[in-house]
Amino acid sequence: MPPLTSALGVDSRAVVAARCDAVNQAIEHLAPTHVLWIPSSTLKSVIDMIETRAREGAWVSAPLTREEEGIGIAGGLVLGGARPLLVVQDNGIGNALTALTTFAQPYHVPMLLIVSQRGGLNEYNSMIHTLCERVDDILDAADLRTFVLDERVPIDRWATSIVGAWEHAEMTHRPVILLVNLLY
Amino acid sequence: MTTPLSHDLTRLEALAAIARAFPTEPLVVALGTMVREMLLVTGRQPNHLYVLDAMGLVPAIALGVALSPNARTHERVVGIEGDGGLLMGFSTLATIGSMRPENLILIVLDNGQYAATGGQRTAASSLDLTAIARGCNFSTTDIRTAAGLSVAMSEAKVRPGPWLLRVMISPQNQPAPYFLPDPVELALDFKRYLGGA
Repeated sequence: MPPLTSALGVDSRAVVAARCDAVNQAIEHLAPTHVLWIPSSTLKSVIDMIETRAREGAWVSAPLTREEEGIGIAGGLVLGGARPLLVVQDNGIGNALTALTTFAQPYHVPMLLIVSQRGGLNEYNSMIHTLCERVDDILDAADLRTFVLDERVPIDRWATSIVGAWEHAEMTHRPVILLVNLLY
Repeated sequence: MTTPLSHDLTRLEALAAIARAFPTEPLVVALGTMVREMLLVTGRQPNHLYVLDAMGLVPAIALGVALSPNARTHERVVGIEGDGGLLMGFSTLATIGSMRPENLILIVLDNGQYAATGGQRTAASSLDLTAIARGCNFSTTDIRTAAGLSVAMSEAKVRPGPWLLRVMISPQNQPAPYFLPDPVELALDFKRYLGGA
């Protein structure tokens, strides 16, 4: 079903494409050694890019079975001198909470999670609001540093903000969650 | 189906044998009785990463270490997990199987119980864990004796993995003090040992 905003003359696909391009640009700039991901419909073009660039030798790309597994793998990689990046979706963030709060956070293992944000305005799946609209509150309650990229952030600041979130994880020696909202 | 018939090994004996076999390799140790009994055997070691609370995460952490650049200076990376922990992070067997790290050895000390919480049963005694691991591209061995463990670890050192060694142990726990350090120290020690800090 096309978003209702299309009836108002809004080219939502172009906006979403520009946001995904910014995410891709930031990932290229960060040059991670490993990208670990959970599939996401809103991040499909990002994951397609991750897989394509992995085939070209830019990094190792691996699908995860669960979000918490990604925290463990990324943690081991960081301790061994690698630069992993996680790409997941926010409706699975609950799976990662225990691993984040019992491993990455207390052991001071820096890592960046790019997390697609769902729910709220322009969400097309009625089942997803309950958890996703509260993910930033849940992360805040767990004392996990979270930044948000949505329509309030100008598109020309998206890539630099993603790079900044990576740097924030490294300088604070903590996991950082970056909620990226691709709904429009 | 695998039904334990006898348990010649205690956890303490198995951990002592593992520590002797891998004195310098990075070793990721699961929480609870596993960490505390390993400390009884070896004291604190810089090549040991003590996972204090993240149950089920040892296979994933060990996989990350095995894939990391600083693991290249070591022949093998070893994860020591219990049967309850393995089942809790079970799907990581699939991820390891898809990535096939040849330097990874996962040693599962299987007492059929959650030892740290009072000995409640796990599902392991109803399962053929090594058959499941073989389906995930692991080389595997079922082990019931000290001699069998020694032979299996020698083989896993020289033949490419990933390996899963299922070691049947008795449900006996050794009294051991709690281990309550700042986890930041544990991560830094291990990171420095691997050469990354």
